[in-house]
Amino acid sequence: MKTLLQLHAMKLGALFLLANAALVAFLSAGDFKPLELWSWSDIIGEGGTALLALAWIILVLKSRPAGLVTQLLSLGLGCLFFSWWVDTLDEFIRLPASVQWDHWLESIPMPVGMLLLTLGIFHWHHEQLAINQQMVKREKAFREHRLFDPVTPLGGAEYLKQHLDLALVEARQQRLPLAVVILDIDDFNRINHQHGFQEGDAVLRALTQLLLLNLRTHDLIFRLAGDRFVMLLPNTGEQQATTMAQALKSAVDHFAYHNQQNGERIPLTCCSALVVAKDENSAHLMERLHLALAHAKQPPRLQRA
Amino acid sequence: MSALHRVYELDTPIIPLHQQPAALIDLALARGVNLDRLLRGTRLFQDQLLEPGRRITPDQFYQLMDNGIRLLDNPDTAFLFGQRILPGHYGAVSEQLRQAHTLHEALECLTTGAALFSPLLAPRLVLDDHYGYLFWVDTCRPGHQRRFLVEAAMTAVYALSRQLFASKLPWECRFSYPQPRHIEQYWLHLGEQIRFDQAMDMMRIPRQYLHHPLTPGSGLTAQMIRQQAQGQLQQLSHIQGFLQHLYLLLETTLKVENPRQERIAAQLGMSTSGLKRLLKKHHTSYQQQLDQVRKLTALQLIQWKQFSNEDVARLLHINDAANFRRCFKRWTGLAPNQLRAQWVK
Repeated sequence: MKTLLQLHAMKLGALFLLANAALVAFLSAGDFKPLELWSWSDIIGEGGTALLALAWIILVLKSRPAGLVTQLLSLGLGCLFFSWWVDTLDEFIRLPASVQWDHWLESIPMPVGMLLLTLGIFHWHHEQLAINQQMVKREKAFREHRLFDPVTPLGGAEYLKQHLDLALVEARQQRLPLAVVILDIDDFNRINHQHGFQEGDAVLRALTQLLLLNLRTHDLIFRLAGDRFVMLLPNTGEQQATTMAQALKSAVDHFAYHNQQNGERIPLTCCSALVVAKDENSAHLMERLHLALAHAKQPPRLQRA
Repeated sequence: MSALHRVYELDTPIIPLHQQPAALIDLALARGVNLDRLLRGTRLFQDQLLEPGRRITPDQFYQLMDNGIRLLDNPDTAFLFGQRILPGHYGAVSEQLRQAHTLHEALECLTTGAALFSPLLAPRLVLDDHYGYLFWVDTCRPGHQRRFLVEAAMTAVYALSRQLFASKLPWECRFSYPQPRHIEQYWLHLGEQIRFDQAMDMMRIPRQYLHHPLTPGSGLTAQMIRQQAQGQLQQLSHIQGFLQHLYLLLETTLKVENPRQERIAAQLGMSTSGLKRLLKKHHTSYQQQLDQVRKLTALQLIQWKQFSNEDVARLLHINDAANFRRCFKRWTGLAPNQLRAQWVK
């Protein structure tokens, strides 16, 4: 809360002063209504709306980086709050009939606030389009931020399952092939043990960027679990998918990743497997994919022991 | 209370803060969790985290775990935690794990040093002609965060044996609960042979892997490490959780007679009401603990030794096979024959 106050001292301070000025103006011009004239439903309705507007301002300021959109949204909401605040004040304080300015205080900030808010939302829309452009290859058609992966800027396993369900339906309807590729980094535990888990996370983030670069615009990539990435390749047959899987694998194998601490090169290799979707659900497809990967990995030393 | 020598309870400070709790805290901090919120309700403060030698109680560890699981809100938490706990940094004992001659020696070390390696869920190792089996007994608070602890414990053993062999081992893992949505975590951290909806949580491995000689740790150094590790374990102030201690006592008694509460309380050096109070403190009752022992014993006899219902009934001091079938159904939800069919499948 302290940082919020520090960051937006001007805006919040101005709002506080204006609200107080209105209160003082009302008190000096009018007098208190007796308790039996209070209309509780109006007080709860108008006061509650004012409080909610204040909560919106705080949420907007807390959640957004500064900039034009934030400025417009908070100004607009500030006007709305002020108008509702004045509306609430006249529930408690009666002004003489000669006073006219209270109607102006109540009705002018409202349309101005609405206008600013609309402008803010309009720019927000454009901002969102720009962000969507950056999210290409990571999601399509829907977003669920609760399923974002905490380590890499990708969706997690649950996100993958939901996108896969959609992709399966789409592929079936359009009679187009859908290929799913899985990529697993060899001996990733060794990296974690030798260089620490923080370095392991950094490797995963670097790999995310690398893999994103090697995908086409309509492909999607997710982090399934640990060091396993899954790519959905719509409209891709087995042959083309094999070529792509090999390209992704060689991109990882040739990737020169350098340790964050001393710049030491950490060599990376990986193993890939793929399946082409049949008439099945996502759980079944994931199981086949997992078996294909297990088959591809088949450790040579296992039989020896 | 002399019979409860070296036994820890839910509120005994035995878990070194800079070991497993720190691993969990590090994991949460790396994922951006707020430290204040993580420590809420644990009666721990930020400035205590770096105090050397600080220990926390199992109850505090549970609270920390509850917070961590809720705040991280990601099914991979248990597996990542499991990856980080073995061999740990316990000096000679960890060194012995790292340099074990065989997997069997490592697992033995894991069970004798359970108070260090696995203070909330104590592993038990049982061998038959073909397999080595690992299953877990609650030490302090039955059932609480059981799935998290089982996932972490199995991941830790799987990762340790993988480290020892420098390759994945064909562990078979079975879980008592239905398949969760995050099955990919199981595939990644526990390999391919995984089954859910089983009668108990356990993992097993063909015996040849247990005795396969591992290269490191030969000669004098290894011998010294083993001696030091033994000395370290002998000096531990606490070696068993109260419920684990009770489990072993009930198990031993069951071999001779039907364990009665008064007798068991006397053997523990306390009154029946004292035992009741202690059990209540650990969120359980005598009957629940006895049923747990009888259930796990019956499961071992049926699954691993192919005993008949009559024989199991006799060994558990239950009047007849029909009665045993009823009890068994109550414990596991399955008839003994259904379990046999499931086991062979």
